[in-house]
Amino acid sequence: MGTSDLDRQIEQLKRCEPLTEAEVKALCLKAMEILVEESNVQRVDAPVTICGDIHGQFYDMKELFKVGGDCPKTNYLFLGDFVDRGFYSVETFLLLLALKVRYPDRITLIRGNHESRQITQVYGFYDECLRKYGSVNVWRYCTDIFDYLSLSALIENKIFSVHGGLSPAITTLDQIRVIDRKQEVPHDGAMCDLLWSDPEDAVDGWGLSPRGAGFLFGGNVVSSFNHSNNIDYICRAHQLVMEGYKWMFNNKIVTVWSAPNYCYRCGNVAAILELDENLNKQFRVFEAAPHESRGVPAKRPAPDYFL
Amino acid sequence: MASAAAWEGPTAGELMSAGAAAIPGGVRVKGWVIQSQKGSILNAASLQRFEDELQTTHLPEMVFGESFLSLQHTQTGINLHFNALDALKAWKKEALPPVEVPAAAKWKFRSKPSDQVILDYDYTFTTPYCGSDVVIVNSGTTQTSLDGCSALCWEDTNDRIDLVALSAKEPILFYDEVILYEDELADNGISFLTVRVRVMPTGWFLLLRFWLRVDGVLMRLRETRLHCSFGNGDGAKPVVLRECCWREATFASLSAKGYPSDSAAYADPNRIANKLPIVTQKTQKLKIPD
Repeated sequence: MGTSDLDRQIEQLKRCEPLTEAEVKALCLKAMEILVEESNVQRVDAPVTICGDIHGQFYDMKELFKVGGDCPKTNYLFLGDFVDRGFYSVETFLLLLALKVRYPDRITLIRGNHESRQITQVYGFYDECLRKYGSVNVWRYCTDIFDYLSLSALIENKIFSVHGGLSPAITTLDQIRVIDRKQEVPHDGAMCDLLWSDPEDAVDGWGLSPRGAGFLFGGNVVSSFNHSNNIDYICRAHQLVMEGYKWMFNNKIVTVWSAPNYCYRCGNVAAILELDENLNKQFRVFEAAPHESRGVPAKRPAPDYFL
Repeated sequence: MASAAAWEGPTAGELMSAGAAAIPGGVRVKGWVIQSQKGSILNAASLQRFEDELQTTHLPEMVFGESFLSLQHTQTGINLHFNALDALKAWKKEALPPVEVPAAAKWKFRSKPSDQVILDYDYTFTTPYCGSDVVIVNSGTTQTSLDGCSALCWEDTNDRIDLVALSAKEPILFYDEVILYEDELADNGISFLTVRVRVMPTGWFLLLRFWLRVDGVLMRLRETRLHCSFGNGDGAKPVVLRECCWREATFASLSAKGYPSDSAAYADPNRIANKLPIVTQKTQKLKIPD
């Protein structure tokens, strides 16, 4: 697959037109060669723009690129959850993957908890692949690639980035580096925690979710992690925030959310975090793409003789 | 199933022959003012207000705090109101014990941090809410209650909502669906509370639905149906019936009956309601003040 083929595919995907099954297969093979070389704590240089959950909201991701600038002119770090819930998981993930293959040093993709076989079968990506391709092959190629995505990133040794949060099994970055990540997201253990856990105001140390699974971590946990690993703050995604971003624990951790009007009904704004070469921060807040640009008519609920 | 085509609303002729008038966000018909409002999820400031009022920091991920549905009968001052805050007050009061997800079994064997705190609020946001009754007294003061028979009086009845009559395709003068809150249970399922209404020339019909699916564990459907029959003639009193029906089933019990056990088969509560056994059911009639 040559650069010109890839450029053509990127242009096609930017129009929200999916690739053929054979093209997806070839793209995924190429991406695998690149991703397999990446560390579980992938080094990222500044300047870079950090993006949170996208969830298949393709036209809103195009707004994101309008605000943040095109790749490769802007360097990007995406914190996972590319798929599920929105209408265009296929096009969203394939565009990001094609950009990764075309500009491997300009865009970093790390894994979110939705980049999983089990979760995508419940929350939309599996059904979307089946609907758009008539078979589940594309879902198989993509979920196989998910296993290769890195688990976290470290920007200029100062900002630790991860989809969910911390794990009681992890105190140093080296403990993340030795995880064997090439597998489906497990139901417990360090890898699961990195993709699933949440910061929580109600605890100082560790909390267990009332679901009986899933860790919550408090301000003390973040302080000591940042101190031991000599980092300034943690940047994570995973939770919807109405204002697009939210600092917690005296600016030691920030949540970045990049899906505006989440699920096409929440009315929230989205944000990306721009870091310049000196790690100066600027949040760029943006709204959902206007209805007329997304090819879906504005919906007024049709009356329904419900009983 | 509703058609995909955009609905332009009722025709002027339909409104006129029903003696109805369109008003902003609703309709005025036969002495009733029926209105809905739909807003965004709570922002940081209004979230704080909800947390203070409810005395908790654990709220659904998406609370549509400005959204509501209101049905007001001008002559009697009866006002039936549906909103997230009151529904969450009822959740807080019921305070069901948490439901463990399947992964919890494995987690019990994980080594635990020494300072671990176990949170134990009902993260499913299950609520017994069946609407907020308000009577607007002539002096302008209001009395509110969450449930039971205080502000308005609901009497048990053997009457049933006439679903056959409601199947008639009368013109719809007003229709809306309002989401009050929703939570994804951190990708362990879904929990939401919505209210739908349709207003027709002979009456209005409303469905308040709490739907919960904890993947691999259980499903809970709590539905409140309200039907108002306007009655005939000028001095006619409306007849309002309220039917509450709670259903619940575990995935294990469904699977034992030969139904699918994967969560993807249970995306649409409409299609599976009948597979869930009824836990409680009652019908009440609103005592209309003179």
